[in-house]
Amino acid sequence: MMTSASVTVRNVAFRGGTIEVHEVGAGPTVGYLHGFIGNPGAGSPVLAPLAGAGDGHRVIAPSLPGFDRSSLCEDLRSMFDWVVAVSEIIDVCGLAGAPMVASSIGAMLALEVAAVRPEAFSHLVLIAPLGLWDSDVPVADPFGTTLSSQRALLTNDPAVTAPFFDDDPAMAGDMLIEHGVTRYTARTASASLVWPLPEFGLSTRIHRVRCPVTLVWGAVDKLNPPSYIACYADVLADVRATHVIDGAGHLAEWDAPAEVAAIATVALD
Amino acid sequence: MKAIWFHLMPYPELPDGFEQDHRSVWVDIDPKLFDPKVGHRAYNDYIDELEHAARVGFDAVGVNEHHANGYGLMPSPNIIASTLARTCPEAVLVIMGNSVALYNPPLRVAEELAMLDCITGGRVVAGFPVGSPMDTIYAYGQNPATLRERYEEAVDLILKAWTTDEVFSYAGTYNKLRYVNCWPRPVQQPRPPVWIPGGGSVDTWAWSAEHDYVYLYLSYFGYKAGLRTMQGYWNAVRELGKEPNPYRAGFAQFFGVAESEKEAYELYREPAEYFFNRCLHVYSGYADPPGYKTLNTVRAGVEGMVERAAREATARADASRKSGRGASGPAGGEPGLTFEEMIEKGYIIIGSPDQVAERTVELARSLNVGHLMALCHFGNMPKDVVMHNTELMATKVLPQVRHLFDDEWEDHWWPTPMAADERASSGVG
Repeated sequence: MMTSASVTVRNVAFRGGTIEVHEVGAGPTVGYLHGFIGNPGAGSPVLAPLAGAGDGHRVIAPSLPGFDRSSLCEDLRSMFDWVVAVSEIIDVCGLAGAPMVASSIGAMLALEVAAVRPEAFSHLVLIAPLGLWDSDVPVADPFGTTLSSQRALLTNDPAVTAPFFDDDPAMAGDMLIEHGVTRYTARTASASLVWPLPEFGLSTRIHRVRCPVTLVWGAVDKLNPPSYIACYADVLADVRATHVIDGAGHLAEWDAPAEVAAIATVALD
Repeated sequence: MKAIWFHLMPYPELPDGFEQDHRSVWVDIDPKLFDPKVGHRAYNDYIDELEHAARVGFDAVGVNEHHANGYGLMPSPNIIASTLARTCPEAVLVIMGNSVALYNPPLRVAEELAMLDCITGGRVVAGFPVGSPMDTIYAYGQNPATLRERYEEAVDLILKAWTTDEVFSYAGTYNKLRYVNCWPRPVQQPRPPVWIPGGGSVDTWAWSAEHDYVYLYLSYFGYKAGLRTMQGYWNAVRELGKEPNPYRAGFAQFFGVAESEKEAYELYREPAEYFFNRCLHVYSGYADPPGYKTLNTVRAGVEGMVERAAREATARADASRKSGRGASGPAGGEPGLTFEEMIEKGYIIIGSPDQVAERTVELARSLNVGHLMALCHFGNMPKDVVMHNTELMATKVLPQVRHLFDDEWEDHWWPTPMAADERASSGVG
């Protein structure tokens, strides 16, 4: 077990390998399911503010297979495979029935899990979920582009994703290669979740999501534009609130962690 | 050594300024640039050129598969091969190849190649590429994380379909077939030779060697740049304890033969610049989709062939922007790279027949390749120049290099057609 600031990182057994779990804070349990870049370095910047907001929370943030130091699972080939895996992960992490803050592809997976397992979450705070498709406003392609352009698509301030995209100049040769490999496997897992485009039939299942939902969007989301708020609000059974955060991009919790934590706290407490 | 006359079939009329006005020659090339009347002429010229190559003495003619590609007009290599099956009655057809992961079920490929093997009386080489990222991942929407697994399963299914003598069921990860029954059956028994075109994946080296498939490096950057890749392949062969038979390997190379070196410079400068500047103007965002490379390749830092093309195209575009001039001016290839440097680096072998023969021997010996994929057409080369180049290559160069390896090695990967007196007349030529 190791810690960085107040965040604890542990490995949890999963399907013959392990998944990495970041944990911080004390209080009622809240899950965080990451987006395209996982929980690199000390984890998503939203973890600490979420743990400290309100009366405090115990935030549990698993890294999905292929992300960070979680083992690769080569048998995850389809959305069905991923839904089963994420359902298992929330069980082994003690997150079943807890509220979940989920971002981007993580929010898509949370919706898919909730559609087949409606009791999985008590409340969903979804940051720019993927899964619905508006032909008039197609979701941008985050992988048919260069690495620097992808980075610019994900957050409004590309500097905030440095723990994922930038190499640490202090790293020695082998560590540098492995850091590159870790980034590559995370990008591979992300790509496999949205290939060729993030529409896998969620629209036919989303009516089964019964828990309360709070929708959060970055106002300058260049990947999944805020016009999608209406798409989700129209088909989800219990949308409690929608929030648009000025100056935030697709991974709004990286651009504006405090604002996202504050919204989540109001929604969950 | 065997010589295969290989055609990429580029679109011959990409406009001046293409590199400045368009992002990529591949994947999202502007559909409005395609004039079907130009396509009509190009396809017919290109088929004429392949037929000419077979007539003047090449051992084989070669075709390949690309999608949404301005330098490769063969979405289906089998269609072109089917026209050649009848009009080239003696040449081997090297179909290099079908991107088998793209077809559902891949049994279709087994059937079509078996048809071609029947029509030709057993003159087919079956090439099975993983396929470039542009073709497979972007143009055909395959998931990069599962492409290789899907590919290996497709190859397995096709080979079982050819070699199993009874109807069987196939419960693969991606292919579920209650009844597999490849009908017709290939003439060549147990199956046509399998060649694997690669672009630099280290795992493809070992996989090809392990299965005794020919590994063919389809490089655009010539034999000097291809040395590292081919050494990697031969190391994999050695590590498996297999003989370094040069016929286990093939290599693609651009050639420009003329009566003199001076004439060669005059004839081939423009088509070379057209190819390396316009045809390889590939957007770098399409070069490296995550999951396409194996982790061994990532760790080894090996750059794929199309990845290199895209990187160099980006460098050209950047240089063009900085200098305020077009990228396809007198300088071609990399920024500042002249046509002469392109030749010096070995991208293209040009010169008189003797000069070309000397370089070809150097290529074959240094890379240890017994199958030469000769690209005697490139870029927007006029048809009469292609015919001239092809004829000189066949009649004055190949006789000087054919003997290579004959005393030492046998080609176990070449088709074994039916005897001539058993074969049907094509009714052509």
